[in-house]
Amino acid sequence: MNKINYWSMLEEEAREIRRKSADWKYIESLPARLKFALKYYIETGDLYVASRIAGLTIEEFNELRKKAGVPNVA
Amino acid sequence: MLNLFAIADTCFLIDWSYWRYRDVLFELFKTVFIPENVLREVKSENTLDWITSNLAKGKLALYTETPDIVEFATRIMEKSRLIPGLRGVDLPEGICLAVGKRRGYFVLTENRGALMAVDILEELSSVRVWRSLEVIVEAIKKKLIPGNPVDIFKSYEEDTKHFFPRRELGVVINELRGETREVA
Repeated sequence: MNKINYWSMLEEEAREIRRKSADWKYIESLPARLKFALKYYIETGDLYVASRIAGLTIEEFNELRKKAGVPNVA
Repeated sequence: MLNLFAIADTCFLIDWSYWRYRDVLFELFKTVFIPENVLREVKSENTLDWITSNLAKGKLALYTETPDIVEFATRIMEKSRLIPGLRGVDLPEGICLAVGKRRGYFVLTENRGALMAVDILEELSSVRVWRSLEVIVEAIKKKLIPGNPVDIFKSYEEDTKHFFPRRELGVVINELRGETREVA
């Protein structure tokens, strides 16, 4: 397996863990900016960009992802 | 032997600062640098207290990026977006990687893009990137944390709501157990 495929496999596994762990009811109840930031984070695991979407600092967004039941998989 | 320097980004620090054994970091590195932008990103009393008290003790230090570092970080960002399938690196991680390359510091990050970049971009292959996983492994090998490795990793997950991928965790647990058996 080449390196890119290996990393893609790890990314997909991490994405599945985030998707399955998430509290979707809570996420859907949030205002648009926070909701879409969390959805972006669940898909990508990218805390920095997700925080920019949310209009929050990285740590504020990190607290939000914990509240939404989304683990940081790394 | 104590490693000299590391540079840590926000995504590493904001989880690490909640761990019950967080100060073990300073038994692994002489000084851990933090880019100035980290201070703009942290808000909680817990993290601010830990960062500021350790800045005062000299265990943490601010890193002010110079134009050449920002230039190099920008090139890393651009290169990461030229390779199909490679996750893009953003500027904060790019700065840490640039410092890792130019100054030889360990880079402490949880960012997958940074990990991929050092694995795939030849120019960055000498940069040492550690996640919390690798930092904890090193602390266990140096016997800096008491207890069973499984319980130690579990404590990190509990305290920080971080999740170690089971495949990778299994590999490091087996390696640590192997080392313990050899010592015995």
